[in-house]
Amino acid sequence: MAVAVALTLEICDFTPSALAYTAAGDRLFPATLVLPQIAPTDEFYVWGWTLPLGGGSTGAPDRLSNFDATYAKTITDNLGIVINSGSQNYTRIDRVGAGSLSGFQNFDTELKYLTITDGPHEFLLSLGLDREWGGTGAARVGASASGATTPRVYFGKGLGDMDIGYLRPLAITGFVGYQIADTPPRPDLFTAGFTVEYSIPYLQSKVQTLDLPEFIRGLTPMTEVLFTVPAGQSFGARTTALIAPGITYAGTGWELGIEALVPANRSTGNGGVGVKAQFHMSLDFLFPDTIGRPLFSQR
Amino acid sequence: MPSIDAPVLPNLLRGALIAAAIVLLSTSFARAAPAGTVVGLFGGCFVETGGSRSVAKIGQPVQVGDTVDVPADGKLKLRMSDGSVISVAAGTRITIAAFTVDAAGQRQDARLSLGQGLLRAVVAPVEHPASFEVDTAVGTAAVRSTDWFVEGSATAMQVGVLTGSVDMTSAATKRRETIPARWGARLEAGRDPVPPRVWSKAEFDAVIARTDVQ
Repeated sequence: MAVAVALTLEICDFTPSALAYTAAGDRLFPATLVLPQIAPTDEFYVWGWTLPLGGGSTGAPDRLSNFDATYAKTITDNLGIVINSGSQNYTRIDRVGAGSLSGFQNFDTELKYLTITDGPHEFLLSLGLDREWGGTGAARVGASASGATTPRVYFGKGLGDMDIGYLRPLAITGFVGYQIADTPPRPDLFTAGFTVEYSIPYLQSKVQTLDLPEFIRGLTPMTEVLFTVPAGQSFGARTTALIAPGITYAGTGWELGIEALVPANRSTGNGGVGVKAQFHMSLDFLFPDTIGRPLFSQR
Repeated sequence: MPSIDAPVLPNLLRGALIAAAIVLLSTSFARAAPAGTVVGLFGGCFVETGGSRSVAKIGQPVQVGDTVDVPADGKLKLRMSDGSVISVAAGTRITIAAFTVDAAGQRQDARLSLGQGLLRAVVAPVEHPASFEVDTAVGTAAVRSTDWFVEGSATAMQVGVLTGSVDMTSAATKRRETIPARWGARLEAGRDPVPPRVWSKAEFDAVIARTDVQ
């Protein structure tokens, strides 16, 4: 049970940061819900998700839920830190014929550095170094006693520079990472994922302005796909895959997103489809002169 | 009855003449008070007034209706009557469509028409609601007090904001985006504005250099 819950948490609760207004030229990459984002920024966001599990005999988990709040702060224009405090990352496990278990996850931080911004080609590349601090969460809800360090490479690419007509609002973001556990029996994991998104705001502002309702103009449909693959000794861990189709709405300095959580194999979940919702505030937009500024900005 | 009407007509006529005189006097006063003054100049720049074109000089007043033409090798800076400062980059044509201030020198209405090119506006704060607008071929940028840049052409405009915030509105769709400090946004003809994004230091440095008039 512990391994299954930990892996499900690993894949559903993956997002160490979610940034609106991550931009390359006129391409804005909206906040994703499952995948990590591709650049540092100033933001605060909360999310909640729930996923039915397979259940089974008495005491087996039949639902997993999580609620979280995250703060991200830019240190310079290109360097930022993401703080996912364990004290705000609350997990609840409902069990068959037994009481639910609840508790907090491990404290997690990540440094992220934006290395390439190519506006004309709508391309971004960032490097990240994530650190999960082992033993800071509750083992009963899957928090590992062992910490882990994960270097990552992030990218984002809009297709607006290509002559493909109404497909120009398409963009792809993604990452690859390698999670190195501090101590066994926690396995090392190869992690990767990608997002395909179609930006209606981009369509309206760069391709063709259509007479769409106000609400539709702010939408970006997207589908996220996330994998984890054990590397080396697995300690019972298996490959997981999650598909998360959904939609995000961009307001003025905030975004609201909702996605279905569709386990792609039994290792990810066998109880059905879950759901994740996220509310995100861009502090650099809402408070550009105070908490939204980098600590050391050249601008 | 005519005897009764007779003195009324001259009274009406006198009133009309007085009103006309007041209007003429106020108009001439308005023309006498310039909308702004040339306070910085580099290269050969021009001011067009009522169809006549003259070489701009330091200290030269500019009036509502005047067009400032800055060629590719020039730069020009205006200090407006409300204290706002407008730095005009090379290759820019700008017309002062409206500029009124009250007796205390507070701006009431300011509207510039940017045919093409780039300008930086350090807009003086006012105590009452009063807009400062720059119209381009594709949209309008409006502020109250801020330090910002606007660049326009026949097909697009872009706004960058150093301090304060600017509202950019599409002429075609009337859709508006608010651009905060350190951010910028583009607008293409016939489209909604592109959602704003953080501008890089290099982007700000580029427009600062283009509008830097010593």
